[in-house]
Amino acid sequence: MSKSLAPAQSSLRSWLLVAPLLVFLTAFFLVPLAQVAVMSVSDPEWGLGHYVDIATDGFHLRVLGDTFLTALIVSLCCLLLGFPLAYAMAAAPPGLAAAMMVVVTMSFWTSFLVRTYAWMVLLGSRGPVAHLFSWFGFTAPELLFTRFSSTVAMTHILLPYMVLSLYGVLKRIEPSLPRSAASLGAPPSFVIRHVVLPLAAPGIVNGLTLVFVLCLGFYVTPILLGSPREQMVAGVIGQQVEEFLAFGEASAMAVVLLASTLVVLGLYHRRFGLDRLWG
Amino acid sequence: MTKPYLELENLAKSYDGRTHALHSVNLSVAKGEFITFLGPSGSGKTTTLMLIAGFEAASEGEIRVNGASITRVPPHRRDIGIVFQNYALFPHRTALGNVMFPLQMRKMPKAMAAEKARAMLDLVGLARFAERHPREMSGGQQQRVALARALVFDPALLLLDEPLGALDKNLREGLQIEIKRIQRGLGVTTIFVTHDQSEAMAMSDRIVVFEGGRIQQAGAPLEVYNRPANEFVARFVGDSNLLPIRLTDPAAGLGEVAGIGPVRVPAQPGRQAGDRATLLLRPEAFGLPNGEAINAFRMRVGAVVHFGDSALLIGRAGETDVRARLPGLAAQGIAEGTEISLSWSPVSAHLLPAAKES
Amino acid sequence: MRLALILFGAVVLAFVAMPLLIVVPMSFSTAVSLEFPPPGWWTGYYAAYFSDARWTTPTLNSLGIAAAVSVLTVLLVTPATFAVVRHRFVGKGLVNLALMLPLAVPHIVMAIGYYAFLADIRLLQTFPGIVLAHTALSVPLAFLVLSANLKGFDRGLERAALSLGATPARTFLHVTMPVLWPGFAAAALFAFVQSFDETVVALFISGRDTETLPRKMFDSIRTTADPVIAVVSTLLFAAVAVLVIAPVLWRAVSRRRSEARP
Repeated sequence: MSKSLAPAQSSLRSWLLVAPLLVFLTAFFLVPLAQVAVMSVSDPEWGLGHYVDIATDGFHLRVLGDTFLTALIVSLCCLLLGFPLAYAMAAAPPGLAAAMMVVVTMSFWTSFLVRTYAWMVLLGSRGPVAHLFSWFGFTAPELLFTRFSSTVAMTHILLPYMVLSLYGVLKRIEPSLPRSAASLGAPPSFVIRHVVLPLAAPGIVNGLTLVFVLCLGFYVTPILLGSPREQMVAGVIGQQVEEFLAFGEASAMAVVLLASTLVVLGLYHRRFGLDRLWG
Repeated sequence: MTKPYLELENLAKSYDGRTHALHSVNLSVAKGEFITFLGPSGSGKTTTLMLIAGFEAASEGEIRVNGASITRVPPHRRDIGIVFQNYALFPHRTALGNVMFPLQMRKMPKAMAAEKARAMLDLVGLARFAERHPREMSGGQQQRVALARALVFDPALLLLDEPLGALDKNLREGLQIEIKRIQRGLGVTTIFVTHDQSEAMAMSDRIVVFEGGRIQQAGAPLEVYNRPANEFVARFVGDSNLLPIRLTDPAAGLGEVAGIGPVRVPAQPGRQAGDRATLLLRPEAFGLPNGEAINAFRMRVGAVVHFGDSALLIGRAGETDVRARLPGLAAQGIAEGTEISLSWSPVSAHLLPAAKES
Repeated sequence: MRLALILFGAVVLAFVAMPLLIVVPMSFSTAVSLEFPPPGWWTGYYAAYFSDARWTTPTLNSLGIAAAVSVLTVLLVTPATFAVVRHRFVGKGLVNLALMLPLAVPHIVMAIGYYAFLADIRLLQTFPGIVLAHTALSVPLAFLVLSANLKGFDRGLERAALSLGATPARTFLHVTMPVLWPGFAAAALFAFVQSFDETVVALFISGRDTETLPRKMFDSIRTTADPVIAVVSTLLFAAVAVLVIAPVLWRAVSRRRSEARP
């Protein structure tokens, strides 16, 4: 099996094993992707017109700005909510930790659509949140189809990514480290801030990157739950294709979205190496 | 020696074409012999084993079994039983299934294979555990299954790659005896790889000491212990005192050691007066002299470590560090910080070539 | 602060769990639109789901597509993973990156790409088209899962098999495959689920006759808020529960069983 072949010979053998997959990905992934780039400068006519439009007209810039802002808010919310949960999981006894893990992984695996639908029920005008308002004698504000509802739902949907990233690093922190810090006289809040947080930093960066990137391209939830007046990039791209068949314009937006995503991932890759992101 | 059964001839291995993991190894093994490859990690012993097993291809040289070259035979046709360091038992098969595997690969009918495998499990004392999976067995039991699996197809050669490394001390000693018993009974030619010199001493017909990708010495255990070929072997096999000696009259076996004075050693007919060499004294060679003894000297005792049956004295004679092991009773009265007399018999000394200039 | 952090963590756990749990009572509700708590209880919407071809056809479509995707993905990914994990070769870093690329591209971008591309090769709104697209998107996860398993595989087992007289082919068949099967199963499952859940690309490239379940759900939520969605959601949720809880239970049981033996 591990005969030492000449380097060139063994490279050839490896490439033969990889070749079917690479050919497949080239034909059914890279070519369609390239087609987006081509359409962005060729549909309906050749030129960089769509990009000029995106860079100059207020609508596109506002959509891009909103998208980035939303992604940022969702990422931070995920961190704020995810850290305590991951910390509690890491601190819990094994049985309880396993049960908590089951809840998080079940959420992780449940279809985006199901979770989006659940938030429609929760935040709907005849849902439990509205009931709660009226029970206290208030009229419920319009929660559904607002930026609030889509942000809450996206946070909920992406939260498991953050929790799993954080749990991975928190679990690996040697339990003796916080203990030895405590034995040296550090109060618990100091231990968390100066021992646990720095050690968890890779997981935090990991989680933030994942959530941010996924949120940038989010389509389903903003469309179903968000305000039609405050769309995100993915929604606008879809709308331009579905309603106006404006492939060129949609493709140009798609290229901008892809470029933004790749820039974020590229920064991560340079610092940490991409293969760790989904590890 | 009788007609060689396994022969390694100028065997060499290089992974990158420049540096060598193994330099021109030559070795002949007789049929039925129990050979131990002893050496630290990276010494070449495991590389040699991998070449014999066929998991690595030799860069140069030949491997012959019974006169026929197997150098280019792929591993699955070499007919060599191997017990791996972590046993490498197939987790999806029972103990019996593991032992039957090589027979099934040789197309033996199932009933016959099962019968033979059961007999082999019986031989290693695991008849009751045939239906267990490896994860349901202890380390020692897994080790026996691995041994049964490596032997069941009557291999031309048995290779054991540090098979006892993962076991605790008591179990290890029991299994050493067990492996020897089974190996003798079957008469299978065996190569045992270890970095543990006491294991090597206990089990082998011959020990082959590896270091730096070369064989440093090959010989019977006591020969290697008493007459090491060089300082490396002297240090690696057993505890040692290595003292620089200047010969004053080699033919009469007289010399001088700094800190101890004039000493008597076995006669050195090949050397000349004024030659420098290294004197090897095993710690247990020392005794407390009664009366006027030869090779007596004074040592200041720095530390005494009692083991019960024996005690290790660590001290200095002049500028020279000395480690001496005395019987437990004899050492009981010796206090740290005192000065005592020690002596040794000339025949227990061995002279090595002088250490190379470093 | 530590205690406060843990308590807040428990609240977050409730936030994670609650929306999942709400779909279950919703599915037994008599309400015709989104209403909670339910005004009354029945199982009529379950009957509706199982008897209505507008729901069963997309479900079967999705199951078939996902099955084809998982088989195709494992067939393509397996040899590549063995090469990348086990061999050193020129361009390996690049291959590694290329295999991960589909995970980095937002699905909406691929959706319009596939729309145009599949139209060009006349596979738009066909099953093969959806299977090809979903397979490409499933490659990275299957690769990650399989390579993690392969890295944990003890190659000593293969050497042992060879030394015991098994040819390389029989070694693969009798040792590598049986020992690694949980890895293959997990890779296939990831590909299956990824395809079964995939919404955005399917919205653009599936047609009336090849409608997938997520597409049907999306349209249904968007236009009519059909209460059957709660039924589908509950069934999907139950399937996930089985997939997540079963391995945990299995591990606990097998641990107890092996502890019971001396």
